[in-house]
Amino acid sequence: MIARLLLRVVSWSVMAYLILPLLVIVGSSFTATSYLAFPPQGLTLDWYGRMLGDGSYLAAFGTSTLLALVATAAALLLGVPAALAIARCEFPGKKFLLSLLMSPLVLPHVVLGAALLQYCAALGLMRSFTALLVGHIVIIMPFVLRSVLPQLTPEQRALEEASADLGARPMETFFLVTLPQIRSGLASGAIFAFISSWINVELSIFNTTAEMTTIPVKLFNYVQYTIDPVIAAVSSITIGVAALAIIILDLTVGLHLLSDRR
Amino acid sequence: MSAAMNRALPLLAAPVAFFAAFFAVPMIVVVSSSLMAGGVPSLGNYARVLFDQYHWDVLAATFRIAGLTTVACALLGYPLAYYLVRVVKSRALRRTCVILLVLPLFTSNIVRSFGWMVLLGRNGLVNDALVGVGILDRPMRFLGTELGIVIGLVYILLPFIVLAVGNALAAVDPALEDASSDLGATPFDTFRTVTFPLCLPGLMSGIVMVFTLAVSAYVTPALLSGGKITVFPMLIFQQYSTVFDVNYGGALSITLLVMTLVLVGLAGWIGNAGASATGRKAQ
Repeated sequence: MIARLLLRVVSWSVMAYLILPLLVIVGSSFTATSYLAFPPQGLTLDWYGRMLGDGSYLAAFGTSTLLALVATAAALLLGVPAALAIARCEFPGKKFLLSLLMSPLVLPHVVLGAALLQYCAALGLMRSFTALLVGHIVIIMPFVLRSVLPQLTPEQRALEEASADLGARPMETFFLVTLPQIRSGLASGAIFAFISSWINVELSIFNTTAEMTTIPVKLFNYVQYTIDPVIAAVSSITIGVAALAIIILDLTVGLHLLSDRR
Repeated sequence: MSAAMNRALPLLAAPVAFFAAFFAVPMIVVVSSSLMAGGVPSLGNYARVLFDQYHWDVLAATFRIAGLTTVACALLGYPLAYYLVRVVKSRALRRTCVILLVLPLFTSNIVRSFGWMVLLGRNGLVNDALVGVGILDRPMRFLGTELGIVIGLVYILLPFIVLAVGNALAAVDPALEDASSDLGATPFDTFRTVTFPLCLPGLMSGIVMVFTLAVSAYVTPALLSGGKITVFPMLIFQQYSTVFDVNYGGALSITLLVMTLVLVGLAGWIGNAGASATGRKAQ
């Protein structure tokens, strides 16, 4: 009984620990004081107005969004064929290839960012959108593979064969049979990929400039000098985007985490 | 060439070429420049990294912070995962908690660390609460201490452990636990001999994930250290962003990479050995 109670107390304290910082950021973005105050004193939307009035924040939001969208599209275009080949074909070095494609998940991003800075400088692409993009594609592709691969099961394979036997061309089979069946894997892979790109600092920081920067890098550079409620407002917007992504994920695919039906 | 190869090649050509061009080759460039000094092949950069006490101090701090973070994540995350999967009965409540767990994961490290900069400040909520309750006489310094960095990193990495352990727990058939208690085992015995060993692979994969991410974290330590503590990824960043020494920076990068991979390999090996040992005992 005491163990149960202790478990309950620990669990809810940990949940509180997980929620508190985000609550503080969103709360203090509404404060009427010129410094960060939590609980907020007074209530104002001034800091959001200040953010909208500063073109550099909007530009950074634009860069981040474009980068995450293009990187996600590219990761799907590269990742889905790779997943198909890995699930469907036997070839030498398959295990090695899969670990290579998944390795950006454990590789320190600072190391990869540094490598891409040096490499892209040699190619004349230093601190360009392309340099940012290729790095983001590399680090988000594992999310696509991880969500799509488990859905390419033998049962799903049998349907593809049936489709081919009935005279469908390979492309028809892919678009009419395979794609609809791996839809939920594609959706969750794409959302995880998009968000991983959208929130990245450690990789982006090497290839951004004062003019072309993503929103997390801009926040990082700003926070090191000053902390003010504008930063809290910008941060709150990114928390809102995260919440939106999770709700979309939950409503479309379902967050089947921590439950037995998967 | 086999028929399977023929089908695989067109599918693999683009992704493999992309990974070769923008992942493998850049990493090879780092390795090769780390082996050059003054335009000639040399191990001098590695000597500079390995024979300098300062680097060992930084490495020790990095691994100490990562180790403490991992232990704290396991101790805090395991009970929460168990509670959410086994104790919470309401589906809606569990779903809400899962959303609240994933929300920080979908938010940038910078935003989350920034939250702690506010909370852990001299006049922040944490100090106010600790002084208010009487645990502290006067505000304590968190920012610029290893404790502050650990608090921030545990917060950032905790969801990984909860999800890894929780998913492993959810896959354990409750009938096994019922069987154990029907046979007269106390709840604690059932947990110790049935539930815990079955979830060990999940716990181990969560631990490896948290440890590697903690070792390679840059943003959180940079913001919460207040310039007073240096971790290894900061050294790498300095070399590439301000000093522009790609040879020495390369040696630092490869050192971090190798140390991380060795520890991940070691943890996997211990995990496998532990799992098979408990597996044998269970049989």
